[in-house]
Amino acid sequence: MAGYFEEMGWRELQEGEQPNHLLHMARFLIDFGMYEDNFSGEWPRLPPPASKEAVQNLPEVTIDSESKNCPICLKSFHSGDKAKEMPCHHQFHPTCILTWLERTNSCPFCRHELPTDHEGYEAFKKEKKRAEQRKEDLDTLHNSMFS
Amino acid sequence: MANIAAKRIKREFKEVMKSEEVAGGAIKLELLDNSWTELQGEIAGPPDTPYEGGTFLLEIKVPETYPFNPPKIRFMTKIWHPNVSSVTGAICLDILKDQWAAALTLRTVLLSIQALLSAAEPNDPQDAVVAKQYKENPTLFALTARHWTHAYAGGPAAIRDFDAKVQRLLDMGVDEHQARVALSTYDWELERATEQLFNREE
Ligand SMILES: [Zn+2]
Ligand SMILES: [Zn+2]
Repeated sequence: MAGYFEEMGWRELQEGEQPNHLLHMARFLIDFGMYEDNFSGEWPRLPPPASKEAVQNLPEVTIDSESKNCPICLKSFHSGDKAKEMPCHHQFHPTCILTWLERTNSCPFCRHELPTDHEGYEAFKKEKKRAEQRKEDLDTLHNSMFS
Repeated sequence: MANIAAKRIKREFKEVMKSEEVAGGAIKLELLDNSWTELQGEIAGPPDTPYEGGTFLLEIKVPETYPFNPPKIRFMTKIWHPNVSSVTGAICLDILKDQWAAALTLRTVLLSIQALLSAAEPNDPQDAVVAKQYKENPTLFALTARHWTHAYAGGPAAIRDFDAKVQRLLDMGVDEHQARVALSTYDWELERATEQLFNREE
């Protein structure tokens, strides 16, 4: 057995040593196939809630027209109502959007994403972006060679 | 039912009733009870598809947590489609699951289901048998879907040969729907369908 662990570069934890969380994360990402060249992964379930900080920092605005409604409850806003505004500028009743962001991190109208407190999901997003960048770089290289 | 869900359904109901899709006969929405939790949807089969001419009924159940969670929707009308179970009517559509967003409405959901009838996603199937036929024998798939549209959704009369095969099994005492499922599953080969139907009963 020892031979197998050595071969894999693994060893038992020493007294008082904590497991390496980054290592666990890396293995989790590998299991998802994220380090393959053709990475095209989709997050396999509902993305996690928005981070507490992002939610706290959503600006509060005062509605100045009578023509809009809150996309969550569909009730019309009245001039002078308080609303929370997402970075994509979509506006909602504070309780409506806060309830939604406790469930998942994106704008219910246009899916603009807020950061989350979920390490795995954040790592997933980074890797996805990197994969897109890699593809773009390859395309540029390819175009420069064959045009 | 939670107040916000009922209130929102009431607002949506008005929106749907005013919409041009209702005016044009593409979708319909009806209340089944007064608590606003159960509705019946109706979509017209899209033109230039095997579903054209058919009318498909949908069961809509609104959870107490709506619109923070999606409505539960299934086909009541039997349909032959890769993303709908031919047995239960369950629908495989991302916006009814992980891709649900609170700003979607019953109107947009019904329109999405209608769009699914025009553009199936065979790589994310709900019904593996139908999806296999869709990929391997698209012509036969389209004929089968049209036959089902005629049989269950009031679509135009379709394929005489299929009707005749169903009738042959009826004459043997097989239930009509079971006959249609067996024939559809075995690419309308009467012998294989018969074999499967009678072996199962032993
Ligand atoms: Zn609201
Ligand atoms: Zn937005």
